[in-house]
Order: sequence, then structure tokens, then C-alpha cells
Amino acid sequence: MFSGCCGCCSALRPRYKRLVDNIFPVIPQDGLVKSNMEKLTFYSLSSPEKLDRIGEYLFQKAARDIYRKRYGFVIIAMEAMDQLLVACHAQTLNLFVESFLKMVQKLLESTEPQLQILATQSFVRFANIEEDTPSYHRRYDFFVSKFSAMCHSNEHGEVRDKIRVAGIRGLQAVVRKTVSDDLVENIWEPVHMDKIVPSLLFNMQESGFHMKETGNIEEAPEDQVDPPMLAETCMRELVGRASFGHIRAVLRPVLRHFDLHKLWVPNQFAIHVFRIIMFSIQAQYSYTVVESLMAHLDENSKSSPTIRTSIADVLSKIIAIAAGESVGPSVLEIINSLLSHLRDSVRNGLSQTDEKQYQEALINALGEFANHLPDYQKIEIMMFIMSKIPFPLVDNNTPADNLLQSILLKSLLKVGTKYQTIHLNTTFPVSFLEPLLRMSLAPDPDMRLLVQKILHTLIDRHNNLEKLSKPTVNVHELELTMEKSSRPDLIFINKHGPVIYDALYTSLQMDTNGVENIEAIYTTLALLCVELASNETIIDLLQLVLGIQNLALTNNDLSNAQKFNLHAVVASLLTLIPIVLNIKPLADYAAKIGKARKHEAPHLLPDLLVHYPANSESANKLPHLLVDQMAICEFVKAGGLDPTRLAQTSPYGAGGPGAVAGNHRHSWVESGARGSIMELPGGQDVDSVSSSPGVQRIIIKEKPPRTSEWHCEVNRHQSWDALFKFPVPRTSSDRSITSRILRRTNNKLPEEELTFESMKKVLTEPPEARKEAEAERREQLSHTFRTATFSELLHRTQPKHDILQNKLNEIFKSLSTTEANRSPIDREKKSNIPVYEQNFPEL
Amino acid sequence: MEDFKFLFKVVLVGNAGVGKTCLVRRFTQGLFPPGQGATIGVDFMIKTVEVDNEKVKLQIWDTAGQERFRSITQSYYRSAHALILVYDISCQPTFDCLPDWLREIEEYASSKVLRVLVGNKIDREDREIPTVVGEDFAARHNMYFLETSAKEAENVERLFMKIAEDLMQQARSKDLPRYDSNTTNISGRTSAVSDNSCCSKLA
Repeated sequence: MFSGCCGCCSALRPRYKRLVDNIFPVIPQDGLVKSNMEKLTFYSLSSPEKLDRIGEYLFQKAARDIYRKRYGFVIIAMEAMDQLLVACHAQTLNLFVESFLKMVQKLLESTEPQLQILATQSFVRFANIEEDTPSYHRRYDFFVSKFSAMCHSNEHGEVRDKIRVAGIRGLQAVVRKTVSDDLVENIWEPVHMDKIVPSLLFNMQESGFHMKETGNIEEAPEDQVDPPMLAETCMRELVGRASFGHIRAVLRPVLRHFDLHKLWVPNQFAIHVFRIIMFSIQAQYSYTVVESLMAHLDENSKSSPTIRTSIADVLSKIIAIAAGESVGPSVLEIINSLLSHLRDSVRNGLSQTDEKQYQEALINALGEFANHLPDYQKIEIMMFIMSKIPFPLVDNNTPADNLLQSILLKSLLKVGTKYQTIHLNTTFPVSFLEPLLRMSLAPDPDMRLLVQKILHTLIDRHNNLEKLSKPTVNVHELELTMEKSSRPDLIFINKHGPVIYDALYTSLQMDTNGVENIEAIYTTLALLCVELASNETIIDLLQLVLGIQNLALTNNDLSNAQKFNLHAVVASLLTLIPIVLNIKPLADYAAKIGKARKHEAPHLLPDLLVHYPANSESANKLPHLLVDQMAICEFVKAGGLDPTRLAQTSPYGAGGPGAVAGNHRHSWVESGARGSIMELPGGQDVDSVSSSPGVQRIIIKEKPPRTSEWHCEVNRHQSWDALFKFPVPRTSSDRSITSRILRRTNNKLPEEELTFESMKKVLTEPPEARKEAEAERREQLSHTFRTATFSELLHRTQPKHDILQNKLNEIFKSLSTTEANRSPIDREKKSNIPVYEQNFPEL
Repeated sequence: MEDFKFLFKVVLVGNAGVGKTCLVRRFTQGLFPPGQGATIGVDFMIKTVEVDNEKVKLQIWDTAGQERFRSITQSYYRSAHALILVYDISCQPTFDCLPDWLREIEEYASSKVLRVLVGNKIDREDREIPTVVGEDFAARHNMYFLETSAKEAENVERLFMKIAEDLMQQARSKDLPRYDSNTTNISGRTSAVSDNSCCSKLA
């Protein structure tokens, strides 16, 4: 140990050693000798090449002092090194830093807490210095290990917290030092992250901070001495600096820590931490956190449902933060993954309440996520969810399928609730509306209820949902918010109204309907009425109202209570419609009926009950209390509207659309044909002829008195559309013809042949005979549809739908041929209009 | 004075309560702390010993046995030169867990790591694991075996000395696991900040 000899030979020693020796006082309590320290600083600045030797010498002295437990001198040596470090210029620092770090390590290795804290402070100071020369051979391995250990300090009392704070500061410093310098150690290596992250989390979880409800997350000041707060700050910094490739290295130990420390249940801390992560992470990476959590959920698929519920809950709490930044495929990926978790959950556990909670949590997450997406993506998501719902609804569905259906509907509802409808036609693209309506006829009443709820939330734009949730005849008290419906909306309802009405009507026929179902359907209708009321749609609505009354009167499957419910719905709607449209005479009529019923048959008015008093008289025996079609026509006329359509046979009259649905899969598909019929009154097989422009022409030409010019126009516009999906029924007589035409089943009526003569005959012949035959047939059909089970009907009608499709394809192909075969008159008239124009005039 | 020639990292693992901290305390500080609480996370001690007139510095990482700290403790295996796997000879479950520990070591530690099996608490009367069983287990898994008592300071010194000797021999034959081979440490030493000092000067 020649370097530490006695002072007598100091004169012979090198100058730098003398300068170093001189900064130490005789007794350590005196502290650093300031003037001598200045000399040393000056010397090292003027001859920077000596700096490394100064550092080395200082270190040796300190090491010896540590060994001899002369801590006072150690502290002075450290102070001197700090000062030199700060004073010296960056480019000369590199070599000095080596000894500096050795010194820090030496101090950290000692068992003396005081020295450890001192060393950390120096290290932090060092970390804040910007070095411009890379240091290839510097390693922070030990520091990460030691600081992490310090974060878990086992000491007692105040010292413990001090050491822990020092540990956290040290880690923070290491991170700061290394992230900015690519040449130094990669701090993102799992070796380091597995130490750093759990150490921070361990300190964070010690506080009760996250338990507080307020959750005010203020940035802690740098000098905060509370380990949890400091750890949190450090965590934010770490996450904030992580790039895409590194974020997983941070998240993995986080998830593992939660597993090992059993921090998922209860999950306040997990939520707290993940919120911190989400708020600190660079926004564009935030969805990786969601992904990681999802993956973790996968890994935990065997864990107890409570853990999964908690994880899903955490997910739902943070997913909203990610939603804002998620774009494109990642959105659907997340949704898809959530849905598959739901599916798995449904498959695995059917009944446990825990599993149910888990599903709820997942649905919540889904809703939260959707809530923060832009509206166009919500529609996308709703369609996406829709596409995941297993079909068919009726045949061979297992309980699991059933459950999955209702769970997916629930998620759909959740998403729907977050969606703010502006235009109905954007909300209900055909590909969404169609399956939704199909769902509304599901055999399970709960599922039907869900569908209605989805419809409610999507249709309601003026927050009338609450007010219209129960049928009532006191509409004035509701204070409905109304707005004149816009043009696109009217087009929408013109186009899709019949389909929707039919679906609603058909679902009213279900004998499994409870009061809730009927109320829900009422709400849907009332909302439609409020949102889309116009003089053009009122007739359709009134027709439906009459149809419902008829249903209540004639249907044999419904219970008495259900029938009374229907009557109550009729009364409510009848009151609502004229008020919305301001048709005074009709409103008076509705009020009159309401009053009369109140007197004689309160069971025909809301509220809807499950059980009615035994003496409640069937509505059939109280004809004067029923809504009279003729009366309505009159009042509508008095209100300044054209009641012609209303006066004719209601499409819902004879056993409802089901009567004509025989040829088609479902009634709303049928209604498509119904609308298209307009163009071929003497028509043959809808599937093959209706779209032929030639035939269409003739009819329009021949029928001017019955349909206004505008109607023709509209119908021509929609003829293609009509055939595909949802055409517009114009008048009820058209509809009745339709129904006739549509039965291209057995016994064909004589006029059902496609010749000009026969068509003419149809039009000229007195209608009585036809009507008779028609009524007979309708009777027959309605009987079938009343008695047969739903599934049977569905089964029977299914394949024909496909035939229609095939035919359509054929028609498309043969379009050019039909062009040539047209009648001369027609050709004359149309010759200058290209084919595509006729069929898609608005495109 | 920074005057050691070798630096070795030794990590102690084993179930909670088998006496890992006591072993370390006994060795580094020469005391037996009665009523030692459970270690949180990781604790760190240092001790310089002399082997063949060479100074050897042992960095001893004393890990928590509790399951919940497993993630942080595992992260320390990776850079260890020697792993001391401790069980309590008076507690069968701590012995039964050994295979699990070995699996963890397999997974997280270097393959060349020196593994030592230690049956602690031989001062206790109620032995449940006969020495032979321990020896047998160690032999089957290619480990050193030693029975110790931190309380009576029995075999503790020997344990660490043996490790130091072995590691030194390994190091001399250049068989020492290098954790830094794939990083930018051009000096090629275990830790540039820790052991590049006066050894050359002293030589």
C-alpha cells in the first residue's frame, strides 16, 4: 500500500496527489477545505490530462477510508469528485468518470445507509450531465441491480424510506442516462426491466394513494420524498420514454408482478397503474397496452373467473384512453379479440355467476372502447358484431349459441347506446338493418327485447326514449322533443319503413311476448313516429295500427292479456300519431275512444298488465270501443291528407303479412315483392318478369288514374332496389294484388298468364270475383301461418328466397335481350334513354 | 483499497424461512440476527475473501423466498456465477420444493452456473431430511452439497470459501460464464466498473 504512506514524504509526491491530499481537513467534521478544492479544480481544468489520475487517487483514498470506517473522509472525497465532475468539460470527463463510478459503486457496496444514499445522490448528479463522448465500456449492470435491491430495502424505520427513495432515484438516473445513449447498455433488455419495473411497482403499491377515489394524478415534484409518489413519477418517465419495440419489455414484468403479488383482485391498484401507463405512454403505442392485457387475458383463460373479471375490468377502464388513438385494423382486432373472449367464456362456463360477471366486464370494455371511437367506426363495429352473431336463430341452436347470441346483442346494445344517430340511413345500412330485423323475430323473447332496445337507442335522437318507454294515452304530458324530419330520413323510411313495420308487426304476433316485449315494440313504433313523422308516413303508421288491432281481434294464439296489451298499444299509438302530426280531428277521435274505453273497458288502455281481471270483456264484444277504419279515413281526410290508401285493404289485415309470406323467407322480404308489384298489376311470376323494363312501361302507362305521376316516378326509381331488398308498397290494393301474384304455388288463377290480353282482363274485369277468390286464398294461407310453427314456416320459405336471387341474376344477364323484345310504343318513348338510366335513374 | 483480483456474484435462493439471510449475515458480518424478518425483494452484501493469496470479492445477492417476489428475484439469477440453493433440514416442504427451484434455475440462470445445495439449520434437533437424502439429491443433479448452521456458524465459512475457490479455478481455466460476451464490454471483464483496478499495479 505504498500510495497511502505517511505525510512526511508528501513533498516528493506528484503535484496532483498533493493537491488532492490538501483538500482533506485534519478532522472530517470540518468538511472540505474550500480554498484547496478551488486549487484542485483549477489544476484539473488547466491540465485535464491529469484528471483520470486525480480520480483514481481520490478513489483509492476513499476506498481505504471506507475500509477503516472513516466515513467523514469518504463523504469529503465524494464531494470533491462531484465538484470536479461538474466543473470539468465534457470531452475530458470520460476517464474521470470511470473512477467516479467506481467510487459510487464502492459506496453502494458498503452497508452504511448514509453512504449508499450519498452515492446515489452523486450518481443522479452524474446522470444529469450530458456527455458527448460515447462510453463503450461502461456498464450499469451493478447499478440497476443495486438500486433495485435498495428499492426493496429491509431496513427499519426512517432509514428504510430514505434508502428506497435513493433506490428509485438511482433507477431513474440509470434510465435517464442510458435511454439517451444508444452505445451504452440497452436498458430495455429484460435483464434490467425485470428488476426496474417490479421495484417501482413494489414501491407504488405500498401507498394507499391508489385507493383514494379522487384519483387526482398530479405530477409529483422532483424532490418529493415519498417513495410511492417518486416511484410513480419514475414509472411515468420510463413508460413515456419507451418506444414501440420496448413497451412490451415494460409491460411484461408489470403483468407478471400483478400475477405474483395477486394484485388483480381487488384491482384498484392495477387500474391505477394501467391508467398511469396509458397516460404516459406515447399515444400512438397505447393500443399495445390493450393488446398486452388482452394477451394476458388469454394466458389466464384457466384462472379463476374473478381474476379474469378483474383483468377485463381493468381493460374496460383503460380501453377508452386507447380508443382515441386506435386506427384501422387495430380497432377491429381489439373488438374481435374481445368478442372471441366472450365466445370462449360462453362456451366454457354457462351458468356460473362469476362467469357472467366476466362477460359483463368484457361487454363493458367493448362499450367503453366503442364509446370513444368516431361514429363511423361505431357503425362498422356494430356491423362487425352483427356478423359474429350465430345464425340461424331457430334451428339446431345449442344453449351456448343462444347465450352467445344474447351476449353479442348485449354488446351491440352497449355500442349502440354510445352511438349518436344523425341520419337514420347512415345508422341503418341495409346490411345492418336486415339481420337486426331478422333478430327481432328470434324465438327467445329476451333476445327480441334486446333487439328492440337496440332499435330504441339507435332511433331515438331527441331523448324521447324515457318518455315513450311505456304506452300512454296522455301524450300531452310527455313533453316530447320533436323536430321536422329531414329529407334523407323520409327517404329512409319510405324505403325501409315497410320492412321495419312488418318486422315489428310480426314480432307482435309472437305468443311468447311478455308485457315488456310489447312495450318495447310500442316504444320502437312511437320513436319511429316521433322521429320520422310526416304526412307521407302517417298512412303507413295508421295502417299498422289498424293491423295491430286486427291482430288482437283475430289471432287465436295470443292470450287474452296479450290481446288487451295490443289494444292498449293501439290506443296509445292512435293518440300519439295525430298529436305528433297535429291532426286535430283525429286527435279528438283518439281522445274519444280513450275516454270511452276508460269508462267501459279500462283493460283496453295502458298500463299493460300481465294479468287482467277475470271479468275483462274481450274486445270483440265491444265493437264501439274499437278503432274504426272508416272513421280514421274520414278524420285523416279532414286533416287534409289523402286517405285513399288507408281506405283499402290493410296489408296487415288478413292474418298479417304472414299471409303473403308464403313465398318468401320472412315477411319483410315479401314486402319487397309487394312494392314491386305496382309495376305489374296483372303480373306473373315476380321473380322473372317484374324487373323487365318493357312490362314496367306498359303498366305505368295503363294505370295513370290510380297512381299519381310522382308515385310512378318513385317506383321506377326504386324498382331495382325494390326487388333486391326493401321496396315501397304504394297502395293497399297493390299489395293485395301482390299477395295474389306471389302465390305462384298450386291452383293458379286463370288470369295469371302473361299476355297482354290477360292483363287487360285483370284490369277491366269487375274486381268482386277476383276479390272473392283472393279472400279465400288469403284465408287459407293465414290459417297455415297461424297454425304452423315458426320454424316450420321459416323452413318452408327459406329456399325460395334463394330462387329469387338466382332469378335476379338471370334477369341481370338477360337485360340486353329484353331490351330488344320491348313493345314498339315503349321503345319509341324510351329509345333515347339507356338501360342503366331506367333502372338506376338516381345514380 | 480496491485490491481484489476476482469478482464473483453469488445468489442465494430457496423457500421462505430456510435461513438464507442468516447465512449471509453470518458470513459477511459474523452475526446471527435473531428474529430476522422476511426479506423483501433482494438484499445485497459484499465480502472479500482470500484464496491462494489472491483477494476474491464476493457479491452476495440474498433473495426473498416469498413467491410474490419471484419476478424480481429471478432477474438476479441471470448474472450469477454461483447459486446457493438452500433448504431447511427440519422442514420437509422446503426440500420438496427443490425440483421447482431447479426448474427455475434451469430457466433463468446461465447453464454454467455453479450450483450448491445447502441444508441449513443442522443445529436443530427435529431433523426431517437425513444428510444422505440431501447428498443423494445433490449428486443426482450435479450439485455440491453441504449442511450448515448459520446459528452455530457451522460450515458457513467453508461454504463460501469453497465457492470462491471453485469459481477461481473456473476463472483461471477460462470457463467462467461470461454474461457480457454479447455486449459492448471490450475489456472482457466481469464488470468494468468494478474490477479493472489495482490488481495490475499490485502484481
